[in-house]
Amino acid sequence: MHNPLDHIKNKIYHVEILPPKQESTKLLADLDVFKEKYLRVMDSGYCACITDNAMGLMAFQGHEIIEEMNLPVHPDQIMIHLNTFHTKADLDNILRCCKNLGIESLLVITGDGSDRLPKLQPSDIDESDIEAVTSVELLRYIQRVYPDTFVLGVAFNPYEPSDHEFAKLKRKIKAGASFIITQPIIEQNTQVDRLLAEYPNIPVTVEAWMSKKLSLLSDAIGYKISEDTQFDPIATLEMLHQTYPQCGVYLSLVGFKTQYDLIKNLWI
Amino acid sequence: MKIVVCIKQVPASNDAKIDPQTKRIIRDTVKSIMNPFDNYALEEGVRLREQFGGEVIALTMGPPAAEAILREAVALGVDSGILLSDRNFGGSDTWATSYALAKAIEKIGNVDLVICGKQAIDGDTAQVGPGIAAHLDWQQATYLMEIKRKDERVIRTKRLHENGYDICEVTLPAVVTVVKGINTPRVPTLKGRLASLTADIMLWKPEDIDANIEQLGLSGSPTRVVKTEPPAPRTSSTIKIEGTPQQCAKELVRQLRLRSIV
Repeated sequence: MHNPLDHIKNKIYHVEILPPKQESTKLLADLDVFKEKYLRVMDSGYCACITDNAMGLMAFQGHEIIEEMNLPVHPDQIMIHLNTFHTKADLDNILRCCKNLGIESLLVITGDGSDRLPKLQPSDIDESDIEAVTSVELLRYIQRVYPDTFVLGVAFNPYEPSDHEFAKLKRKIKAGASFIITQPIIEQNTQVDRLLAEYPNIPVTVEAWMSKKLSLLSDAIGYKISEDTQFDPIATLEMLHQTYPQCGVYLSLVGFKTQYDLIKNLWI
Repeated sequence: MKIVVCIKQVPASNDAKIDPQTKRIIRDTVKSIMNPFDNYALEEGVRLREQFGGEVIALTMGPPAAEAILREAVALGVDSGILLSDRNFGGSDTWATSYALAKAIEKIGNVDLVICGKQAIDGDTAQVGPGIAAHLDWQQATYLMEIKRKDERVIRTKRLHENGYDICEVTLPAVVTVVKGINTPRVPTLKGRLASLTADIMLWKPEDIDANIEQLGLSGSPTRVVKTEPPAPRTSSTIKIEGTPQQCAKELVRQLRLRSIV
């Protein structure tokens, strides 16, 4: 299996790609756009990161798009997000398909629900002492059912109360996580600094917010950012490389038309 | 087992606005969705076919745009879709609608089970399922939270009511309506969604189902909606929870559970 540390050593960006939404009225066109972005990330040697019903909005799964469109899978160049809003049958199907396709890297998160999304129940994964399934239980389940099959990563939120977040991270690491990806940061962050100090041997990737609309980050960070806030994603990305040279970088909402060519030479 | 699932296109409830002058729903700007309760009916139909084999057909009556929910049903796993759409169906109340659907079910032929959601969120009448059974003169069971097959001709069901549930055995052919808790509807797969794009959706008119025009539309509808009023705005109230953090947290969870939020 690939080593997540190699992404950092080899300066391989993680590039987030959103799959077409279930309610799309132009599904075929959206699939073509997805394919174009995916192949571009593959050609660049970067790692394509495919979200799982991000923000609770129902979308198609990464593995099914890869299968349906016959897209190439390079194990060190693809990461699938996997959250707890699935039926047990769907979860098992996703894991089975990922294994069969040769997808190794999973980012295991609790995720965002919605009225239409089913929630994995504790009894589904033989957990009896909990009220709700979180990423910790999902990690344990994957490790138990698919030992030595996947490289599992988890999220770290520097905007949550720190003691709570670090206690949760400890449980995630114990459950089998071997790399960490943060929520978007736009400047040096004391919680990320603490994370790097406490977990020097675990690869940490910081998320860079590539949209100019910084206000969209309000929900993630828990306070309101004004809509007219000026923000330069490329300059911020450069700053993150300088501030956290020991970290990988995950690009969210990167503009494939306007930004993609500009990032090529930023990670030196 | 040959199963027909009756579904309906309705305005998304959170989008619906009522014209203050006419007191009618403004449909032009409202997003249309499949009636949420019908998702459970579809899932149950597909599950029964997966267990016992056979065929599941989605059936709806509505304007041409209602074809969209039949494609959604195909994406969710039904084998085919039939749309009853014609000017003569327009203005049908629940009795005329159930007559048209019953005629379509007769036309399909050899149907063992008809499954409907417990009610549609626009009319909230819960009358169409029982109406279909009445027109077909079949057995019916409503508000089901479980359907199991006892043998070739009998299903064993749990029928939800205020104080628990009844176990009812129903002889096929039958019409049933199902409640939300009966299953967890699946999310469409990409393969299913792509198949739905090119699926043949049959369009049937009154003459295709041998329907008597006099029993359709306004002429076939004994119900007259005299006036529709928007509900009075809900009043909000604030509860102050006091005590230790543990007591407050416990009470908060209790209050949220009382409101079915968690």
